[in-house]
Amino acid sequence: MNSSKAALQVDLAKSRGGLDQSRLVVAWLMLLPLLLGLLIFAIYPSIYVLGLSFTKSTLGQPFKAYLGLRNYHWLAFGGDDIFVPSLLRAAIFSICVSLVELGLGLWLAVLLASMQRLSRLVRSILLLPLMTPPVLVGTAWKLLLAPGGGLVNGKLLSLGIVDAPISFLGTQPWALLSLMVADAWQWTPFVAILAYAALRQVPDDVVEAALLDGANATAIFWKIQLPMTAPLLLAIFMLRLIMAFKTFDLLYILTFGGPGASTDMAGFAVWRTALRNFDVGTAAAETVLFAAFVSLALLPLLWLHRRVERIAS
Amino acid sequence: MSDLDPKLTVSGLNRRTLLAASASMVGGGMLQLSPLLRSGAFAGQQLNLTIIQPHAVAGEVLKKLFQDQAGVTLNFTVIPYDQVHAQATLDVQSGANHFDVHDYWYASIGALVDDKVVVDVTDWIERDKAQIHPEDFIPSIYDAYTRVNSRRWGLPYDGDSHVLFYNTEILKRHGLEAPATWDAYYQAVKTITEKEKGGGIYGTALLGFKVPVIIVSSYANRLAGFGGRFLKDGRPDLLSEESIAAAEELVRVAPYALPTPSETAFDQALPAFLSGKVAFLEFWTDLGVRAQDPQNSKIVNLWDVSQLPVGGKNKTPVAALDAGFGWAISSGSNKKELAWEFVRWASSGEVGLKLLTTYNSGIDPTRSSTLNAPEYKSFAPKVQRAAAAAFGSALVWPTVAQTPKLLDSLTEQLALILAGQSKPKQALEAVQRAWERELV
Amino acid sequence: MTILKLADDGRPGKQDDVRRRKAASPEAGSRRIAGPLITKRLLSWLGIVLYGGFFLLPIAFLISLTFKTRDEVLLGQFFTSKPVLENWWKAFEFINLAGFIGHSVVIASLSALLTVALATPATYAVARLQHGEFVGSLVLSSYIAPPVVALLPLFFLMRCLGLLNSFSGMILVDGLMNLPVAYWLLRGFLKKVPAALDEAAWVDGAGFFKTFLLITLPLLVPGLFATGLISLILAYNEFLFASLFAQDDRVRGLTVAISLFQGDRFVNFGQMAVASIAGIVPVYLIALVFQNRLIGGLTVGGVK
Repeated sequence: MNSSKAALQVDLAKSRGGLDQSRLVVAWLMLLPLLLGLLIFAIYPSIYVLGLSFTKSTLGQPFKAYLGLRNYHWLAFGGDDIFVPSLLRAAIFSICVSLVELGLGLWLAVLLASMQRLSRLVRSILLLPLMTPPVLVGTAWKLLLAPGGGLVNGKLLSLGIVDAPISFLGTQPWALLSLMVADAWQWTPFVAILAYAALRQVPDDVVEAALLDGANATAIFWKIQLPMTAPLLLAIFMLRLIMAFKTFDLLYILTFGGPGASTDMAGFAVWRTALRNFDVGTAAAETVLFAAFVSLALLPLLWLHRRVERIAS
Repeated sequence: MSDLDPKLTVSGLNRRTLLAASASMVGGGMLQLSPLLRSGAFAGQQLNLTIIQPHAVAGEVLKKLFQDQAGVTLNFTVIPYDQVHAQATLDVQSGANHFDVHDYWYASIGALVDDKVVVDVTDWIERDKAQIHPEDFIPSIYDAYTRVNSRRWGLPYDGDSHVLFYNTEILKRHGLEAPATWDAYYQAVKTITEKEKGGGIYGTALLGFKVPVIIVSSYANRLAGFGGRFLKDGRPDLLSEESIAAAEELVRVAPYALPTPSETAFDQALPAFLSGKVAFLEFWTDLGVRAQDPQNSKIVNLWDVSQLPVGGKNKTPVAALDAGFGWAISSGSNKKELAWEFVRWASSGEVGLKLLTTYNSGIDPTRSSTLNAPEYKSFAPKVQRAAAAAFGSALVWPTVAQTPKLLDSLTEQLALILAGQSKPKQALEAVQRAWERELV
Repeated sequence: MTILKLADDGRPGKQDDVRRRKAASPEAGSRRIAGPLITKRLLSWLGIVLYGGFFLLPIAFLISLTFKTRDEVLLGQFFTSKPVLENWWKAFEFINLAGFIGHSVVIASLSALLTVALATPATYAVARLQHGEFVGSLVLSSYIAPPVVALLPLFFLMRCLGLLNSFSGMILVDGLMNLPVAYWLLRGFLKKVPAALDEAAWVDGAGFFKTFLLITLPLLVPGLFATGLISLILAYNEFLFASLFAQDDRVRGLTVAISLFQGDRFVNFGQMAVASIAGIVPVYLIALVFQNRLIGGLTVGGVK
């Protein structure tokens, strides 16, 4: 009896070993397509950009001359006073806007989850801002906010709330606020739809059990739904944060970085350096600095995500 | 007969207008074809060109004409006006070499040459002098648009400059005349705005959106009026008396302009002027054509145009060469001969005149002959008068290889002073420093 | 194939689910929640109305723009006194709008398929097969930088592969561009699908890939559709790559076409708005079709 038990255990161990082996192989096979895609689309360009950042390069003549760290020095300490402030502005913008969108989106998702019949209608409406071409999002808001005949100012004036039109895009702090509102309009649905999908994945019987135990909606939300969907919500937040950092289309249409330099943000600044000034060497260095800066901002979030994932499972 | 592809135009062209215009062309006089082209040597071939969106209608006309006359098909790729440089450069740099000819902004010629994107055509111009008549080109335009390092790299075909449009009705209401000086302009704008802003009418729409061709044009108009210039012997001249006065003039009138200059681009300024909400607008001459079109304008026959005002010690009007385009051959083209035939043909007087007298073509004169042609005079009399008077001397934007960066730092600082975040002198000092660093 | 019901402590639950489910159905649940708290319900309604209004306003404004003539656009009013229809057919007549929208739909749909096809197995490999933990960070780090400068090497690469101004080129670029988003979203959705099911299948001797295909994927369907839809929308609205890799009329998409309206000095907002509304329609229809699959359908304990 003992020997057959031992034999069984050895067999199990062997097959477990073989299982581990095939698990490894299958896993890597499943990873391969993605990794190939990343190689083409991310790794190769990143190496190129990194190399470019150490050179003096224009769009038409990349790798014109070797500059070592001069581009970085110029950007960080040397007298360029445009890029670093734009990084900070981008940070403020994206953190604020992502938090607002997360909050509003989550609230909206909860509202949707508690409605039955109308929920489909509202969801359909919700998708519209997300599907509107970004240029049109900008244009629509530009027209809505225009001082000389925009809808918002028209209403404000006719209701007597102000005597002169407010220049929403031409003065601070309105310009930054308007950008945030336009961005929230466009992207809150992103959060809401995904959060709603996440909420719907919370197993019904868990909720049922809690209800039977007499819990009210708020408690259910905070103690059950939120913790169970936290990893996905955190992922959504991170993605949204990164996207907000790279905001471009809205800036291009609404303010182009103005008034003055008050809405000039890093993603836009890099574009300008590369495709307006054609100085791709500096733009490459800006890109690297941008990536480093955002990574720093993301590290705590990633750590949080790992912890939350562990707790939730 | 028309085998026009209606799918290329965007800017509201009336199809009947186009057919009428082209009918007159085909029947009309001899167009500038070389014997080679006329002989059909290139028939059946194609050329790939970039063309900017505002010239889309002109492209239609050119396409039909060239097809009829030379049997060559022109494939235009319409691109927003600020993307030609990037597209042309990438096309050559990556080895794609898809394009043969480019519709280039003249200020970018230095950078294009430096990046080896365009072809040196000096010798060809010399060879074909008799047909091209280079002496007919408006001198300031010819040099600015095509000359880099004493060689020539293209031919002009759209000679843009700003003129001062004004609403005669509003001015009459206040007993004002077209201002001859920037100071008179300021006074007029102030008066009108103070009296009428309650009714939503302002003295002017000051274009201050943070794009070079928009905000730098507003500054350049004043710089020209004061007799200043961007570069003097290749060195930045932005701290001159004229330059600082121009910047101060810009800031001075800003509070009385359509709110607010920092966010005013074409999309707000034009509707405002065309619906009679602002009295003045500095804009390109083709606005005159549009202002007479009842479908687009509420001020038909209620407007007039004059040259830009002068200021300071300068008493002669100076044209500000804001925008302006030419044709250049891409260095990656493998049809350079044919491309040159096109460039010669398209920048000729006859073709130019046809384009000038087509509604919404977006083209302005580059040659003295077309500028003063009777057809142009009858087509757009007010505008012709103003344009003709201004081209005597002109303010040219920098055309060096570093121009994109120069314009970027200037744009940055001008935006700061318009937003009240910096003072004119201080801002110009910053630009001067930046320019010196680039150009040294 | 029945799936075991799991109570919140992971053990297989009792089978008297019919009564339980009835008693705790969504309607019953919400009735229980909202019953004594009418104000709460009112608040939700208010919230929905405000939200709906906020999100609808610019869209409604865009629609009203399509009926306005050029000079009516900046009049500070919502409705126009004399609506015109000409913008609608003019926008379609003067550029190949229908064609451009068609291009965008094709490119976006196929690239979304590509994105999901690449990302899903990878997520499974990391989350379930527990190999390749680095992929998450790798994917994220490729996403954090603005892609502008990467255009240079990519342009060169595309040119070498002959993919400039081609459908396959755009599908490839857009498909790869959204990999990070797809990966992180799918990872979140995958975590919700209980691992016990997979493990049970493995113990029963099913192959890893087969388990993935037959057991995990069906449960992942809402997540797949959500991710696919988001990828589709992101690809559809992409501008930067499209403007450089697909300027040719044969492959030109909607975003670039709209930029042409924008790049004119005399902007015709009415026609631009038409292009935008017309552009939204196909994606909207796709999304509507997906709605059920996207959101409904999955309740652990109910799949047969």
